[in-house]
Amino acid sequence: MLGFVAVVAVIAYAALVGVTGSLNLDIAAQAQENGNVPGHALGNVSDSDVWRQIRRGEVGKVSIPDLKSAVLINAEGSAWRAARNGPISFWGGLVIAASLAFIILFNVIHGRIVLRRGRSGEVIPRFSQAERWVHWFAAGTFILLGLTGLALIFGRYVLKPLFGPDVFAIIANASLQSHNLFGPIFIVALVILLGLYMRDNLWQNGDLSWALKGGFIGDSHPKSWKYNLGEKAWYWALFFGGLALAGTGLLLEFPWLFDRLSVLQLAHVIHAISALGLIAFSVGHIYLGVWGVEASLDGMTKGYVDVNWAKEHHGWWADEVLENRPAVVEGAAEAAAEDAPPAPAE
Amino acid sequence: MFVEFVEGPLWYFSAAVFVLGVIWRLSGILRLRRRKKDLSIPRASAAVGALKAQFLHFVPHGGFTFRTLYHLVAGYAFHLGLFVLVLWAAPHIKFIEANIVAVPWEPLPRWGFIIAAQFAFAGLMLLWVRRISDPVMIKLSDRDDHVSAWLTFGVMLTGCMALQESVQALRVLHMMFVEIWLLYFPFSRLMHAFTFAFSRGYTGALFGRRGVVP
Repeated sequence: MLGFVAVVAVIAYAALVGVTGSLNLDIAAQAQENGNVPGHALGNVSDSDVWRQIRRGEVGKVSIPDLKSAVLINAEGSAWRAARNGPISFWGGLVIAASLAFIILFNVIHGRIVLRRGRSGEVIPRFSQAERWVHWFAAGTFILLGLTGLALIFGRYVLKPLFGPDVFAIIANASLQSHNLFGPIFIVALVILLGLYMRDNLWQNGDLSWALKGGFIGDSHPKSWKYNLGEKAWYWALFFGGLALAGTGLLLEFPWLFDRLSVLQLAHVIHAISALGLIAFSVGHIYLGVWGVEASLDGMTKGYVDVNWAKEHHGWWADEVLENRPAVVEGAAEAAAEDAPPAPAE
Repeated sequence: MFVEFVEGPLWYFSAAVFVLGVIWRLSGILRLRRRKKDLSIPRASAAVGALKAQFLHFVPHGGFTFRTLYHLVAGYAFHLGLFVLVLWAAPHIKFIEANIVAVPWEPLPRWGFIIAAQFAFAGLMLLWVRRISDPVMIKLSDRDDHVSAWLTFGVMLTGCMALQESVQALRVLHMMFVEIWLLYFPFSRLMHAFTFAFSRGYTGALFGRRGVVP
């Protein structure tokens, strides 16, 4: 019996020596050092090191033209995805929401900016046909791109819970195709628009005084040139933001031209930030142009504006136009009469 | 169920209304009473005048070139873009082969029909923008003009949305828009796709007989 116990004990001791690798059965853990497996049993570099490098985006070697395939795990993609679904979506949404809230608040507190002296019945030309055509052309494509772009960025937060994943997938697919197709059309429209409107949007003496005197927020209407500082700010936002949007949009439209995904990811981030900023800005532009300022829309739909509107909002420009006006605009009185409200009954 | 309806009965019905409606409208034009017989001695051939007018009116006449440049460019961009898109886009050729003519032809590469679509979209938008912002065009335009433009835009937009050709719902949506467009076509100014030849011919014959280049 003792012999049997002694044999079992020897076998058990031998097994434990084998497991611990120590004659005195020392079982203290031997951690990897600098990625090397203790005892160099598996070579100098461990598998974990290899996988860690791959996870960090290590570039290997390939013998095919597509160099992107040399990267097994695109580590930058995770950072880009985290930025897109994190701060860009969050802050972008917040900026647009803040812009909408500001407009609503302004309308509630200040109300519509009406013509203090009403319409005069006399009109002066403000926008040429070419200016109006290119404005509406660019505006149309901007709205289409804006809506499809918003569906792509915020769809997962807004549309998916509302309509379910299947419908959202269809909307996202349709939005992406439309966005890609309309993008180049917008670029053409934008370049023509920026060229046509540039001259009157350059800095002029008096621009700052318009802002310092309260712009359109104050009760008095400070004088300004053809475009006040707010309108010029919109133009230059469109200039820089629009060109950034156009340039990065083209990169994203032809992704196969670049081997480095990081270029496309950066382009996407700039594209999204520019787009969200311009959409937030455009909310104010649309509000003031369509509803916020009485008689403003006439300029962009008919090409001419009421003289009282011009004097109240763009005094220096109105003086300049009225001084240089060769004659009364043909047909203007009839056109203005059409717009005038009916006379109150006696 | 809805997919089968759109791809089956609605397609046959709308195609029939389109074909019969166009024939009915054109035969109506051809059956119009002749004007009083022109008793004057013809100075040149009316038939040659009618033929000349068909081609001469593809380009603006002398002094009108600059004034018509905008809608000339936009008009050609839209019509040529749409023409190329309808007849040379690969999915359209597949559809035509399966449903209308069993003879396929070579489609444009994908980039080709995307460029054609961009020209068509830009042209249509520019033409509509002119319609709403030109003081004369505003007065000349009525509801039919706007419905025709928007319906055509809807057909093109849904087609563009279905570009990836991977979502059945988008393809069916596009087809439904096409069918509505076909149903509306014979009863609207979209008929100008056929009637332009008649009006050019009539004007050309009238002036040609008088020895004037139409």
